[in-house]
Amino acid sequence: MSALGGGSAGGEGINPAASVIALVIVLASVGVAYVLYPAALIPLIGIIVGGVLISFGVHFVPVGGAPAAMGQAPGIATGVAMLAAGGGLAGLFGGAWAAELGIWVALGAGAVGGGLLMAITCLMVNVIYVYAMGIPAASGKVDKDPITGDTYDGYRSQGTEGHGLPFISYVGGVLGGLFGGMGGTLIYLELLSVYEEALPSFLGMTPEGMQTLAVSLAGIFAVGMFLVAAVLTAYNITGTIEGPHDPKFKRWPRAVIGSSAASAVCGLVAILLVVI
Amino acid sequence: MSVKIEASEGGMDHNVMLGIGLVGALVCIYLVWLNTLMSTEVFAFFGGLAAIIALWWGTDSIKSLCSYGIGTGVPSAGMIALGSGVVAMLFATKLAGISPLLVPVGCVVVAAILGAILGFISDKVLNMNIPVMTRMIAELTVVGSLTMLGFTAMVAGTFSFGDLITGATTVFGVEIASYAASVIGGCVLATIFMLGAIAIQHPFNACLGPNESWDRTQMCAIECGALSMITVAIMSIAFLSIPAVVISFVISIVIWGWSYSELIALSKRDAYDWLDAQPIREVGGEQ
Repeated sequence: MSALGGGSAGGEGINPAASVIALVIVLASVGVAYVLYPAALIPLIGIIVGGVLISFGVHFVPVGGAPAAMGQAPGIATGVAMLAAGGGLAGLFGGAWAAELGIWVALGAGAVGGGLLMAITCLMVNVIYVYAMGIPAASGKVDKDPITGDTYDGYRSQGTEGHGLPFISYVGGVLGGLFGGMGGTLIYLELLSVYEEALPSFLGMTPEGMQTLAVSLAGIFAVGMFLVAAVLTAYNITGTIEGPHDPKFKRWPRAVIGSSAASAVCGLVAILLVVI
Repeated sequence: MSVKIEASEGGMDHNVMLGIGLVGALVCIYLVWLNTLMSTEVFAFFGGLAAIIALWWGTDSIKSLCSYGIGTGVPSAGMIALGSGVVAMLFATKLAGISPLLVPVGCVVVAAILGAILGFISDKVLNMNIPVMTRMIAELTVVGSLTMLGFTAMVAGTFSFGDLITGATTVFGVEIASYAASVIGGCVLATIFMLGAIAIQHPFNACLGPNESWDRTQMCAIECGALSMITVAIMSIAFLSIPAVVISFVISIVIWGWSYSELIALSKRDAYDWLDAQPIREVGGEQ
């Protein structure tokens, strides 16, 4: 499904040596953070957990890409990066709004924000598929819906890998939005706690004045890290995925290892901002 | 292992483009420092030029990467470039505390390290197995950070962290310092982020195909960069004096007008060629 028709890369299985190196990168980042700025140890671990939540969540989202737009594959008709950005950033904004109400309320608000955006997107996608394009929802990967038990065999058109947005994909989309929104919000909250604590002493500011600064810095860093984790997951999926029932879903351990290393390094750089 | 599809024949060698892009963007960002030396703001437009040069180079990096069929579409490469680039760039602006001259070079070094790690993760941990992946992701991170740094320098007239977080607002005629009225505190960075991301992911995405040609894609990159530069020039009204804004705005309009007319001319040239192409033949049937 490449734009140039070159065929997707991405083999199955885990590369053991590279995965070990990635885990070493995680440990090294945590170690450097602990040595240079001990108070940032827990926030950095929170950022890594946030990156893991994002990358795990993106696997649930039914991404159809260009074939879905032509009704030849199931899923939402756009790329992983766009969908993850939409769902995750909606969650991030929802969680950031609730940041003053405590971490659990904020995380819940972030999850609901992301889930809600995906639920609305999936609903409208199906409305367009069924009432505008005139195609029924049929999965290409399974014959029977794992939740409702509906059969897809008789509805699948010849020469396609299924089409529309089956119920299991809808559930996957909402779950992906929940995880993605929660992960994005967690990264934001942890960075915000670091900056709110460190900026007044490091820059000699009044706490009132630097509130907006801490929010802006944490927000832009969270957006950047969210996109890094989401795009790495997109590379892991290589194009399209139907949802939790898709065989590609089993690749998630790779993305979790990769995203944890990426979030650890990016989080370390973001935290070192207040140290130097 | 995936198969490489040659995107376009001819054109400049990628290593030469890397050299021109890196050196050109760095020189232009350093020229913004003339503002501090001569206590003026009129040199801010060099930041936009740096961003355009970096985007020109980055478009070719995206082309090299996407020739291998990454399966996720071209925009994802632009998103990871700017997403990691903004992390490196913000960290680098803080180096101004040691010496302002460290910022552009530090930005490139930090971005290259960050990008190399991200490239290693996508190539080896995620098993993409694309030969150029590590190098191209590293290049794209550098491009993303230089684009962000260039546009930030253009909107603020400076690239040191201390100046980026302080601004001034006027309350009842009295000017007071305010963090919320600054480039970072006002989150102008978020707008610059999307302007850079659109400019880097659009050119190759728009021009790819069997008839893609090097000069048209690169001209599209300049055109997209100039379009973002116009918007950044308008945004700089909030931070710079009127003469500096006018200079930035006029220069971006001129570059955009030139590149747009060139792009249209190149598109007409290529479109004429395209008319000669044969329609796709169905195998079998009445032949």
